[in-house]
Amino acid sequence: MTVPETLEFFVDPGRCIGCQSCVQACAECDTHKGQSMIQLDYLDRAHSTQTVPVVCMHCESPTCAEVCPADAIKRTEDGVVQTARKPRCIACNNCVLACPFGVPKMSTRVNLMMKCDMCYDRTSVGLKPMCASVCPSQALAFATRAEMARLRPGARPVNAFQFGAQTIRTKVNMMVPDEPSCEIVDVTSAMFEPTIGHDILDTVFEGDENEHE
Amino acid sequence: MSNRAKQPPLDRATIAQFGPSRAYAAEIRVDAGVEPDKTVKTHCCFCGQQCGLQLKVKDNTILGIEPWYEFPFNRGMLCPKGVKRYLQQGHPDRLLHAYEKSSESASGFRELSYERAISRVAEAIERIQTEHGRDAFAVLSGASLTTEKTYLMGKFAHMCLRTANIDYNGRLCMVSAAAGNKKAFGIDRAANPWTDILEAEVVLVAGANVAECAPITTDYIWRARDRGAKVIVVDPRLTPIARTCDLFLPVKPGRDTALFSGILQLMIKNDWLDHDFIAKKTVGFEALARSVEEWTPRRTAEVTGVSEAAIRRAAEWWGKAETSFLMHARGIEHHSHGVMNVLSAINIVLASGRIGRPGCGYATITGQANGQGGREHGQKCDQLPGGRDLANPEHRAYVAEVWGIEPEHLPQPGVDAYEIMRKAHAGEIRGLLSICFNPVVSLPDNNFVRAALQKLDFFVAIDFFLSETARYADVVLPGSLQEEDEGTVTQVEGRIVRINKAVEPPADARQDWRIIQDIAKSLGRERGLTFDSVEEIFEELRVASRGGVSDYSGVTYARIEEHFGVFWPCRSDALDGAPQPTPRGTPRLFEPGSYNPVAKGSGPFYFEDGKARFNLTPHHDPKEDTDEEYPIILTTGRVVSQFLSGNQTRRIGPLVDHYPEPKVEIHPRLAARLDIVDGDWTTVESRRGSCTLRASVLRTIRPDTVFIPYHWGGRKSANQLTISAQDPISKIPEYKVCAVRVHKAEAAPEYSDKLEPQQ
Amino acid sequence: MSREVLRAIVWGLLVTAVLGALILLGSRNLAHFDAALVSYTFAILFATFGLTYRYSMWLSRPPTAMYWRRGWQAFFRRGLRLQNVGRWFSRVVLDIFGNRFIFRRDRLRGLTHLLIMWGCIIAVAITFPLVFGWLHFRPVVGDLSRYEAVLFGFAAFRFPHDSVVAFFLFHGLVWASILVIAGVMLAMRRRMRDEGAEALQRFAEDFMPLILLFAVSVTGLMLTASYTWMKGYGYTFISLLHAITVIATFIWLPFGKFFHIFQRPAQLGVSFYKDLGRAEEPALCRRCGHAFTSRRHVEDLIEVERQLGYRYEVDDGRVEHYQWICPPCRRASFAMAQGLAWRGQRGGGPLATPERPLPMPVHANSGLGEGPLDEEDAENFHP
Repeated sequence: MTVPETLEFFVDPGRCIGCQSCVQACAECDTHKGQSMIQLDYLDRAHSTQTVPVVCMHCESPTCAEVCPADAIKRTEDGVVQTARKPRCIACNNCVLACPFGVPKMSTRVNLMMKCDMCYDRTSVGLKPMCASVCPSQALAFATRAEMARLRPGARPVNAFQFGAQTIRTKVNMMVPDEPSCEIVDVTSAMFEPTIGHDILDTVFEGDENEHE
Repeated sequence: MSNRAKQPPLDRATIAQFGPSRAYAAEIRVDAGVEPDKTVKTHCCFCGQQCGLQLKVKDNTILGIEPWYEFPFNRGMLCPKGVKRYLQQGHPDRLLHAYEKSSESASGFRELSYERAISRVAEAIERIQTEHGRDAFAVLSGASLTTEKTYLMGKFAHMCLRTANIDYNGRLCMVSAAAGNKKAFGIDRAANPWTDILEAEVVLVAGANVAECAPITTDYIWRARDRGAKVIVVDPRLTPIARTCDLFLPVKPGRDTALFSGILQLMIKNDWLDHDFIAKKTVGFEALARSVEEWTPRRTAEVTGVSEAAIRRAAEWWGKAETSFLMHARGIEHHSHGVMNVLSAINIVLASGRIGRPGCGYATITGQANGQGGREHGQKCDQLPGGRDLANPEHRAYVAEVWGIEPEHLPQPGVDAYEIMRKAHAGEIRGLLSICFNPVVSLPDNNFVRAALQKLDFFVAIDFFLSETARYADVVLPGSLQEEDEGTVTQVEGRIVRINKAVEPPADARQDWRIIQDIAKSLGRERGLTFDSVEEIFEELRVASRGGVSDYSGVTYARIEEHFGVFWPCRSDALDGAPQPTPRGTPRLFEPGSYNPVAKGSGPFYFEDGKARFNLTPHHDPKEDTDEEYPIILTTGRVVSQFLSGNQTRRIGPLVDHYPEPKVEIHPRLAARLDIVDGDWTTVESRRGSCTLRASVLRTIRPDTVFIPYHWGGRKSANQLTISAQDPISKIPEYKVCAVRVHKAEAAPEYSDKLEPQQ
Repeated sequence: MSREVLRAIVWGLLVTAVLGALILLGSRNLAHFDAALVSYTFAILFATFGLTYRYSMWLSRPPTAMYWRRGWQAFFRRGLRLQNVGRWFSRVVLDIFGNRFIFRRDRLRGLTHLLIMWGCIIAVAITFPLVFGWLHFRPVVGDLSRYEAVLFGFAAFRFPHDSVVAFFLFHGLVWASILVIAGVMLAMRRRMRDEGAEALQRFAEDFMPLILLFAVSVTGLMLTASYTWMKGYGYTFISLLHAITVIATFIWLPFGKFFHIFQRPAQLGVSFYKDLGRAEEPALCRRCGHAFTSRRHVEDLIEVERQLGYRYEVDDGRVEHYQWICPPCRRASFAMAQGLAWRGQRGGGPLATPERPLPMPVHANSGLGEGPLDEEDAENFHP
């Protein structure tokens, strides 16, 4: 008998089309109805349509929880870093500022940090999280490793990230190419790189072009 | 500039009563403790992809959505509109009663009983048709209605009103593709199911902002890329899928025919052709080959504004591929030569021979919910059910027999939707019934449209919200939302799916088909319009479509549910010499050896010889090109959070917040020349109107072009500027190109502090 | 034994000893001490030790220690002291005693918490002095219609036994238990029906405290009922039951959810720290150049992370430490890193080298509920 494969979360920001389905669907989740926890940013809308959706990566050793002075952030046995415990959170903003992925949101008005908990109300009963269910580009996907390997040949999941001298391992995976192989995604070394895209002017013919191939 | 019409009114008193106002989830919708009474499997009410989803219902309120993972097209995926669609139900703006125009009320309308409203409508129809002739009363319908309703609208116009003048809003949407497909293939439907995209080596997307207008298709394209496909995008704007496509061709708006002809020229020159397919399955290649000789890469580059290198690469990738999928949408269709654009795209598909096989496909991406089904069963001005022609005596005879009338009682073909407006403006058409159509926002040069509506003797609108158009109505009848009725729609792949009813219409609101039948009854002409259920209408539609190209005779509600949709054509019985029809219908058209009722076995295409047609596609510049006075191209389109004229989506709070107001997209190079910076109030003027909006300065658009999304009404409407030039064949208006001038506004527009963003 | 544990034990013993001494003192060497309540006293003493121990351990964690120190520094900042005292009072009244922030989360939950909290405060205010022998009542000699309250052995005040004061004093516990029971019912209702709560709650953390409060209140009411209407039927048994529930609650106090009662006031320190941060120099993101929090907060957090063993130092003079990057730029960098990994495989090339500082990433939807939660969050996202 084979061990049943478990479902995991896979992110591939390069697929994102910025449609905000995830943002809208997130607010439908029972644990924070009416509030979206997902972060979706335009990197630089004036230059490119690139967007990045960020869900909680659920670190094995969560910086947010460790810098929390109130012990308000807990990690479940199955590795989900939960949103702040309401009685404890004192809205100090430490977690927001410390999270290497920029995930938590803070409401000072109600003295509470809120963040993605991988739709614990859904995933704990075997359903897919809302964002990964609806994502039209499947930049956010929730599947087994076998399914991902079948659906996306040429890509593989990695769950280690480098921030300066610090390596962070996460429950959520990022899709990277098979070749060249990369075991750790180095976030800080990419920080000042130019964005990827097409510059329209490179391909617009304005009648003064002499190059021939 | 000729200022034919005044600036649109702000309509503040009407807006105060009828909206658009923004609804957010509240009360039981945010109470995590409320258990739904039931979940209803149905489809999204918005675009043509018709994603499957489930509605959670409690006490006649839709609480929210739950993904429907089993539905094979979208497997749970939804765009933001699908996620938030439930907020249109139970909306404070919802029309709960019938209204009539009244000068006494501040809003311009007063309530009246449903029965009284129906009899007022019937009296007006009777009077206008008696005094001015039957054709003086026109009907405008829509392609977001279920197929049953569109069938009923056609029957209502042709059999009950006996007016020639019925047309629908698909006229602004898919007609160029439809006409092109009929000319090249003899049938108007996406040739392939979307799963064929996955097998393609090259995916060519032309004039389709897939990420915003058909978001679910993105996953198919990315999965094809994961399997090694190259993605080519043709668009004047760098859309989200274009960002990481393999080849981006930023075509100058209105020059698509030239681009495809240039590609074909290179394919011929390099012999990247399927000679066997061309010889055996097509006609007309020789003449076409001669006609595209002039489209050298150099000339193509000059006309299209795409670099020669990019054109050569596109031709090589397309020419050498083993499998491929070409899809296009309004970007190449919304032109005064939209049919030519479509045909030129089809030409490169036929020349490659890559159609009718797994991984070899071609499709137009339909826009509206029932963009496909809505254009098949008789609400087009020249059409009868089953894709039949109103001008064809055989077709008239068949349908007349099904309806139990004499063929001569059927009117002759009428005019298209914009021509109806022109006739109204000229006083030839005196009365109008409109449903599922918001021409004041969605038709081009809409200052003219507004003037035309004001000239009507009587105008009745059936709607669930008071749309910008319904504000001009004499009587407004409260119709039904998609979730308040059942029926079928045919989605982008030609798959017929079931819409299930989740809630009842509130107060005096009725299902649209009942309203139409009530009008017929009040006219005393209810013959043929006495259905008791939607399924009854569908059963008659099956008979009426039998033997036509759009044959639904083998489709039943039970089969649709069993197979997650049935692909038409789907015959009920084997015709002479034809193979037994399959219960799932025909997912892929034009397969070798396939049978169709036109070719009768002589070939896979829907012509008597079974062969596809190459068509000559001479290039024409857009009707209104830029000049010194109006030196910039305006192109229009959509944003992901809004749908069409916005009558629904501009009332859904979270979607409004997503992209609250239209902005003018300008390239920084052009903006610098005009001294405009991001966020400036900017006036865009055409020969027809002007519009002041905030500028969005972005590098993702051609420097000679500005873009405005068209979902807003009044003074924010992009269609104040667009031109009503139409394609001579399909009658589609040229939304995608007109000439404008742009300058920084001296002051904020009057609406800016008087109206909310969605209003 | 580590230094922290040792220190926590010493603090625990010290505070417990002080309380013990006060009991001896207040009850005049146990002269007024009710021997029947001795078990309660010991439970409280145990709880005091446990709470102090845990509080001390909690304060020794690097982030807590930092906030503790900074909170007091901010409060006692020269020139601000008077203003801070004013703010302290308003924040204590509104947030701590008024539960304003909970009402803002949800009105019903605010009411729930307010009922439970005030029920407990009233109960503690009445029972503790009685248990410790700090307060007892005796009939006024020569005036049988009046009682005299004796506080810490001193006669404090007199009141008629049919007065409003008497009614509240002698029935205060009944009112307290009614408040608590109503609150517990509301809390239970939410936990039973709310699907979001269902997914997250745990028995020991979330239900146990409610069950304990309920048991204490109900057994307390049963005692009243027994001696008021049932001629003391089952009184001994009920009082034993009541004692067990109360003692269990005290023993549970340092371990479970109840510890938040002692943690919560820390939010006052946080608010003064933030006041100070706003008045000082902001931190500028080393990628986009925008301000995103106070410079002090970033520096303190860097120190805390060092103490915790994190190594977010970046070997790039422009950055120095990852903490100097604002949250939106972190999310952007996350995407950039993946884009870099795919460069050459997916279409598109690097766009023209961007100018420095890089443009600030912008949240795609700043609408209600979709974007930042409120003003401070907006600062986190859109500096």
